[in-house]
Amino acid sequence: MPVIHKKKYLYMQKIKIKIDGLTFYYNQKRILKDISVNIEESAITTIAGPSGVGKSTFLMVMNRLYESIPGCKVKGKVEIKCDGDYLDIRKLPLTTLRRKVGMVFQNPNPLPMSIFKNVAFPLKLSGIKNQKHIKESVEKGLRDVCLWDEVNNRLGDSAIKLSGGQQQRLCLARAIIMTPEVLMLDEPTASLDMEASAKIEELLKKLKDKGTTLIIVSHYADLTKRISDHVLTLRDGRF
Amino acid sequence: MNKTVEYGIIFFSWISGVILIGTIGGLLFFLLYKAVPSINIPLIFGKIRPIDALLLRKEVLDGLFPAISGTLLLVSASIIWAVPLGISAGVYMAEYSSPKQKICFNLLLDILAGIPSIVVGLFGFTLAIILHKYLSERICPSFLISSIALSALILPYIVRATEQSIESTPFSIKTTCILLGGSKLQNIIHVLIPYNISGIISGIILAAGRCAEDTAVIMLTGVVAMAGLPSSIFSGYEALPFYIFYISSNFSSQEELATGFGASIILLILCAFLFTIAFIIKQKVATRFAGHT
Amino acid sequence: MQPFTEKCVEKGLLLSTILSGSITLCILFFMVIFSLPLFEGGQIDQFIRLEWNPYEGDFGILPMMVGTGLIAFLALVIAVPFGLGCSALISVFAHGNFSSLLRKIVELMTGIPTVIYGFAALFLLVPMIREIFQRGTGMCILSASIMLAILILPTIILFMSDALNSVPKSYLDAADALGATSAQKLIYVMIPSAWSGMISGLILATGRVVGDTLIALMIAGNAIQVPKSLSDSGRTLTSHIALIIASDYESLEFKSIFLCGLILFIYTTLTVFGLRLFRYLKIIGDR
Repeated sequence: MPVIHKKKYLYMQKIKIKIDGLTFYYNQKRILKDISVNIEESAITTIAGPSGVGKSTFLMVMNRLYESIPGCKVKGKVEIKCDGDYLDIRKLPLTTLRRKVGMVFQNPNPLPMSIFKNVAFPLKLSGIKNQKHIKESVEKGLRDVCLWDEVNNRLGDSAIKLSGGQQQRLCLARAIIMTPEVLMLDEPTASLDMEASAKIEELLKKLKDKGTTLIIVSHYADLTKRISDHVLTLRDGRF
Repeated sequence: MNKTVEYGIIFFSWISGVILIGTIGGLLFFLLYKAVPSINIPLIFGKIRPIDALLLRKEVLDGLFPAISGTLLLVSASIIWAVPLGISAGVYMAEYSSPKQKICFNLLLDILAGIPSIVVGLFGFTLAIILHKYLSERICPSFLISSIALSALILPYIVRATEQSIESTPFSIKTTCILLGGSKLQNIIHVLIPYNISGIISGIILAAGRCAEDTAVIMLTGVVAMAGLPSSIFSGYEALPFYIFYISSNFSSQEELATGFGASIILLILCAFLFTIAFIIKQKVATRFAGHT
Repeated sequence: MQPFTEKCVEKGLLLSTILSGSITLCILFFMVIFSLPLFEGGQIDQFIRLEWNPYEGDFGILPMMVGTGLIAFLALVIAVPFGLGCSALISVFAHGNFSSLLRKIVELMTGIPTVIYGFAALFLLVPMIREIFQRGTGMCILSASIMLAILILPTIILFMSDALNSVPKSYLDAADALGATSAQKLIYVMIPSAWSGMISGLILATGRVVGDTLIALMIAGNAIQVPKSLSDSGRTLTSHIALIIASDYESLEFKSIFLCGLILFIYTTLTVFGLRLFRYLKIIGDR
């Protein structure tokens, strides 16, 4: 499959994330080598590259998820724009960072709760108690990912019983319910059929229009061609 | 969940940890502190020279030597009864049993594993009574009966250890011999048991530790406070845990009590030693599995 | 190898297994046989009674049953919260080497012999309790419960820690990525996912507590009465067996210990069945 280099050396309107000299070690092995890029705000950036090269690792650095895996070491600086200032992500409290930078995993990971509770979980974590607000947010989230029609009559069922594609959309709804500033998606349409993929693409474009910065890891050249503003190709640990 | 509740939970967890370590540490420290005055050679060998005692030339009457030897001999005897039976049963359960048999035997063994040790002791006692009545007048609660009862106590551990190690052998290794044309028995003898020997041995050592520390079973099946070394398997004997128990309510001076603390330390060292060896063997098993993914 | 030898070996192994399984049945058999005289003579109700007066023919073992139940219950009430806290510490709040060090210490603790706990308690805890209550000898159900709680704590911690560790990683990742704090992760995700493993462990721990002899024997006081307060002395079924074994074995008094043994055996069997039923129901429920 030909790799598409759409490198517009750009003229970026605004920069959301500044990465400087990022090197990632896993058990002394260098996975990401001295990466320095900028991620544009309110735009869709796609990370492409061969399998196993470190694309998912790159995402994990952005929300410091690597810290729960032993043997990982990170050098370099990653800054994110917060209210106009660029702050080092390692200086931000973890919970604040992760509410700013949402993530949808490659393999859907619904929590062992009902569909409703899964989507409402981030609200619960933030301490939001207004039941009406929660109900409305959950319905809106499920509608946005085109899941509402399929599940509105069984919101109390366990989320684990949904099909793979439905679970993936559920996790997406869960990730966007708190409108994060940055949303990272690892192969978002990998387990979806054509129709669902199209809907997700629409959603991603809508999110971008609303101002969310999107970072997508994808193998699919069509998706990349259709919606990305920037493409970064990772090869041998470098862009 | 608001911040106070969260901090409360974290605080409680740490406090629990501190209380746990503090309690056990305090207990052990207390034992050591009290035992210090009595830790010396006479504690074990009394007034006899160690060489004479070890070569069985003279009897030790006021030291822990009979109790220590009693415990060691008892553990060995119980292991001798339990290991062949346990390993055979474990192999059968892992390799030959039908699902129905498995459910039935697993149930029986689980019950055996859960029975309070005093009930096992009672079993040993009744066994002695029955054998005494119907087999031979010579049989009464003694070393023999204790070792049989103890072996019943530790049997489930050995069966489980064997069964679980064999069942968790990687599929590729389990089937190699069969695929090369070997029979089931050859597979067991040449592949499965050697491969899992560490797991089985670590199970046996843990069972030995269980034997060494048990008091309830031996209390009902023949241990006494003053017997010297067992003269035959039909005679009474001494054991460390029972000595500790006996001394706690029958000490006539602070020095005697101190020997109780000394015996506790020795028993602790013995159990810690066995436990550590089993642990090291388990670690070896773990690293070996890490290589075979 | 010849098929005949193979068959022989297989039969031999079957024999070992049958022998192992039959030990359990033997124990049941002995307990029943030796307590039969009590049932036959219509004297069984005499035993489920409160009074114990060998000289007057009263052999009620109810006080011992209450003693066992009370001490076990108190021990668990003390041990479970701290066990939960410690296991949360090991599996969630502490990290890396410190967490594994803690776990190794707990594993080592499971190897400490019961008799040593009893011995240390006799000279450390009992005087303390005596001071606090200012009456009695300090050998009471409270001391026994506290010591039993300490005895059972490492086992409970290991069970709960194992249950927490077996929560699927995908749940933990999901919670992490959503910005949950450790405490939130523990309460909202890990415990709900692991509670069945914890309950199983608890049931097994209860079995150990009910079956313990030495601690009750050494520090619960051994009075045959229904304890009415924490500082009262009490006796358990297990320590009763140990105490009566030394008496004349033709007497009726002696036969009461077989009834105790039978009750304990039945309790163990119920526990094993109960656990299996619990696990089976959980699997059915999950489907």
